[in-house]
Amino acid sequence: MTPFQVKDCALLARMSGLPPAINLRELRERIAACSENVLFHHFCETTLRGTFDNPDYRNDFAVWSKLYLGDRVLAERLGILDPYEFSSLGELRAATLEVIDERLGESTMIPWARPGDELYFMEATTVVFDTGIRISRPREFAAAIGAMTGGSVYYHFLEARRRPPSGKDDFTAWLLENDDGEKNRPYIEALARIDFYFHTLVHLRKELVRVLSALEETK
Amino acid sequence: MNVPLGAYEGIVGPAVLRELRQLGEKLAGIRVVHVNSTREGGGVAEILEWMTPIMKELGLDASWEVINGNSRFFEITKAIHNGLQGANVEIPVKGWKTYEDTSARNFKRLRPILEEADIVIIHDPQPANLLRLCTRRKGKWIWRAHIDISRPFRPVWKVLRSMVEPYDASIFSMPQFARPLPHPQFLVPPSIDPLSEKNRDLPSAELEAVRSGYGLDPSRPLLVQISRFDRFKDPVGVVAAYRMVRKVAPVQLVLAGGGATDDPEGKAVLEDVLEAAGNDPDIHVLLLPPDAHKTINALQRLATIILQKSTREGFGLTVTEGMWKGKPVIGGDVGGIRLQVVNHHTGFLVNTPEGAAHRIRYLLHHQEGIDRMGTTAREFVRENYLLTRHIREYLTLMLVTLRDIKANIVSV
Repeated sequence: MTPFQVKDCALLARMSGLPPAINLRELRERIAACSENVLFHHFCETTLRGTFDNPDYRNDFAVWSKLYLGDRVLAERLGILDPYEFSSLGELRAATLEVIDERLGESTMIPWARPGDELYFMEATTVVFDTGIRISRPREFAAAIGAMTGGSVYYHFLEARRRPPSGKDDFTAWLLENDDGEKNRPYIEALARIDFYFHTLVHLRKELVRVLSALEETK
Repeated sequence: MNVPLGAYEGIVGPAVLRELRQLGEKLAGIRVVHVNSTREGGGVAEILEWMTPIMKELGLDASWEVINGNSRFFEITKAIHNGLQGANVEIPVKGWKTYEDTSARNFKRLRPILEEADIVIIHDPQPANLLRLCTRRKGKWIWRAHIDISRPFRPVWKVLRSMVEPYDASIFSMPQFARPLPHPQFLVPPSIDPLSEKNRDLPSAELEAVRSGYGLDPSRPLLVQISRFDRFKDPVGVVAAYRMVRKVAPVQLVLAGGGATDDPEGKAVLEDVLEAAGNDPDIHVLLLPPDAHKTINALQRLATIILQKSTREGFGLTVTEGMWKGKPVIGGDVGGIRLQVVNHHTGFLVNTPEGAAHRIRYLLHHQEGIDRMGTTAREFVRENYLLTRHIREYLTLMLVTLRDIKANIVSV
């Protein structure tokens, strides 16, 4: 059995090259034109920023709509989009544009942000480090995850879903690869039940530890 | 002050240092040259003072070079600096000629090291023209803009843009500070050094000495704003907020900073502040020398609440410093303060003296909020704004630039 290698990661952000958006129509145009890396940054990599417990929304477009366009309806509709529910970033982009188009259709005036409150489009390179920590058995996961940094939790449980070919989180992929007679099935099912997108990394780590520890207790 | 990297382990943990060493192994032996225009004074020199030795300790062949120039050259570069930040400045053809001649003289001196370097990082506009002169360069050149060039005076930007466009990459502190350029533009916020004189822990005896030295009452809440006497820092608005709070709570206010003596605008602002303060013995307006780091450190530590009520702001490192001392910050809803102050978590963002007064009163009634936000603020800085994060991002972007990596994921 190949041990699970615990990695950590950090982001190096850069400008996307797109002009900033000052109103809802420009937001639509930029989202339609941006690269998938930009979309991923504003929907998924946001979770690596800050460590606060109750962010209103998990993607930058919803936050900007609420804080700077002053459009709470749009913010709520964008805020509920879970990027991991879509099979591709292309589908996520289409769904996002659909929400914005619907709102533009409802609006008699295009909502604008004040100068200085524009939305800047960015992307990032993920830098991955080997922590040197290895996990050999499924029952070690709960304790090991409890000691992981937010970067490790993000890399293995969220970012992994973007990596081909599996599109699964790294814990599940390892459990599947090293499954001997379906013994890992309870772990895989427990991980699959976590509604992870709306968690902060701190909460997600707690939730992972909780569900995996619960399995050990029932044994 | 050269502090070995190991000294930071107790603050950031071993994992952070291990990551830096992993990056260092990937970059071992590469020749990195930083170039700026001053060895002492100013934020850039402060950064290079710690960054160069740490890069060396991590195995890079790093050096720091400074360009020389006469007073006329620095008058021109000051005008360029102001122009890039939006001031309407006239730079005559003769001025640009002085700039170019000085660049050429410096290039002659620095030529061997610049031609041989694997990475050259040029800080700010003063040495930006060196790239054009270095036709036999073999390494990658990166332009680091420490200032906000988002709304430059166009004639100045037009000339400077022609100098910085050929760079391989540039670095800005925040997206709001950047301008479109035809190469990758990395975003690296500034940082503070937790072991510097301005940020290190201070023994209580030193705190008490500063407290008694300025006649501050230990039994009453203290509000502190550290900043230059500059209208954009709104010190008069801070006095107005203090007065609104003073009616109902026995607070004291310290407004401390430098920059008034050689700056006519600063002098006028200071006079306005003194007039607003009147003869209120609980308002302490302190004009501090540029090296009063320990005094600033002590005042931030003595504060109950830190204020930074700017109406325009760069990144706002005084906010970072205050948060590192475990204090909630009431800051203007502008610039980099927005990145650091999160309502109810690390402090409050405000737009008016009334808003500041309201939040001060709220916090004074919620001591547990002061403690909780202060703790969160310190951890937020530990996670995001210490020099270890800063150097990790520099090393990463050097790796990405040197290897011309286009992938969105890089394993170290």
